Amino acid sequence: MLRFEQVSKGYSGGFVALDRVSFELAKGEMAFLTGHSGAGKSTLLKLISLIERPSAGRVFINGVDLTGIKPRQIPYVRRDVGMIFQDHRLLMNHSVFDNVALPLVIEGFTGRDMAKRVHAALDQVGLLDKARCLPATLSGGEAQRVGIARAVVNKPPLLLADEPTGNLDPDLSKDIMRVFEAFNQAGVSVLVASHDLGLIARMRYRTMTLKGGKMINDGLLHQEDSE
Amino acid sequence: MSILFSGRAVGATATQPNILQKLLRGIFTHLRQAITSLGELWRSPLWTLITVAVLGVSMTLPTTLHLLVKNIQQVSRSYDQSFEISLFLQNETTSTEIATLVTLLQGDPQVDKVRLIDKAAAMTEFKQQSGFGEALAFLDQNPLPDVLLVTPKVNQPAAAEALMQKLQKERHVELAKLDISWLERLAALMNLLQQAVYTIAILLLSAALLVIGNTIRLSIMDKKAEIEVMKLVGATDAFIQRPFLYTGIWLGVFGGFLAFVVVEVMLWWLRSAIATVTQLYQSDFVLNSLSMQEFGWLMLIAVSLGLIGSYIAVRSHIKAIEP
Repeated sequence: MLRFEQVSKGYSGGFVALDRVSFELAKGEMAFLTGHSGAGKSTLLKLISLIERPSAGRVFINGVDLTGIKPRQIPYVRRDVGMIFQDHRLLMNHSVFDNVALPLVIEGFTGRDMAKRVHAALDQVGLLDKARCLPATLSGGEAQRVGIARAVVNKPPLLLADEPTGNLDPDLSKDIMRVFEAFNQAGVSVLVASHDLGLIARMRYRTMTLKGGKMINDGLLHQEDSE
Repeated sequence: MSILFSGRAVGATATQPNILQKLLRGIFTHLRQAITSLGELWRSPLWTLITVAVLGVSMTLPTTLHLLVKNIQQVSRSYDQSFEISLFLQNETTSTEIATLVTLLQGDPQVDKVRLIDKAAAMTEFKQQSGFGEALAFLDQNPLPDVLLVTPKVNQPAAAEALMQKLQKERHVELAKLDISWLERLAALMNLLQQAVYTIAILLLSAALLVIGNTIRLSIMDKKAEIEVMKLVGATDAFIQRPFLYTGIWLGVFGGFLAFVVVEVMLWWLRSAIATVTQLYQSDFVLNSLSMQEFGWLMLIAVSLGLIGSYIAVRSHIKAIEP
């Protein structure tokens, strides 16, 4: 589903955010990406969503080399990758329904067809009753779940989350992770970047650890590692 | 179709719409974006008002000048009898020959009408108007020639001149005369005025273009976060810029309409004053307002300005915003 081949990303000024990172995420797999802030987690995700391009190496999604994607094709690639952000990035002056509907509107859905899908997505994150609310009236956990609903509303095969629980307390964080698990069980490949090591260790999924731009660990994270 | 997942039916294609459904969806999307951008304008009324006012005023001045030129042209056209070519006929021409010549001239496609002033009538008129009545009675023979007054169909001095040259060569024509120098001067002045109108129009409209561009730029900056999110969830630049282009079109529509209203009010204001003047001069001059066609042009230019202005802003700024 997702493959990194010796991917490096350097910025002008000599800072190296990623250093020859290679890994593969299988179809239907769920994995965590962890490391201290500045370790390169966000950069790695940005390379997948084509916000950044690698300085060297290649990124493949479903066997397609992203190097060959032209700028005008980028929007279409992003439609295949659901993205969730730490600050959830909702449009504050639009209702929850409109926020979730945005990817569908972009793809040309209208009317009942669109409403059906939006309601299904909101139902999956348990926010069906909040459709008419404005994001400002939601709690942090609810807002994040709206962000998830927006990411999954057009049923992308790959889901990326960048610190989705960064601003949430432990209980809410666990809820959010359960939502990701549910999507993973429905067959979606999920990659979650997070520095919440305790939570990750308890979840017992494959965990990749970045340090100074290098992949230093790939496998199960044990409870004691996080101590 | 998805680039990455060849089997994955993406978005609206998942429902496999036929061409008509696709078309309807496209129209619906455009309509929704057009109405949304109208609502957006309403949300920042001050900037909208300022921009519409700038565009409206910038279009009012050229429109007024255009009307001025048009009305002067109308007045000068009423003097087109000055375009009459006088053909003085040879003295020994008989009335049969004159009749033949008149028929011949009337058949000419460049000639509008031909009027004959025969010697006797000319003499009578001359006696009445010149004040030499008494003296002229002493002449034993009428020295005046028969005159044909030819009104050409053309109204350009140069064309009238050419026609005169041609008529000069007709049989029985002693002399052809056309007094056009003052008309040429008037035409040159009108031309100058018209060029001035164009220059002023271009200057004002470029200023309006910049103002519209700036308004749209501000509106883009205002929505930076929203544009970033839209880009992140896969909106194309075309999709993102469309509402801004519609905003430009709306600004154009309102600006054009404002110019139209201002001009109409001004004409209504002037009309009674002009009526008094024309009454005193016993003229049947009527102040011409904008025709339907000119209104159409006014709106077309205003809308194009709005569209071009917003396009300039959109082109440079939407691309620059990256998540």
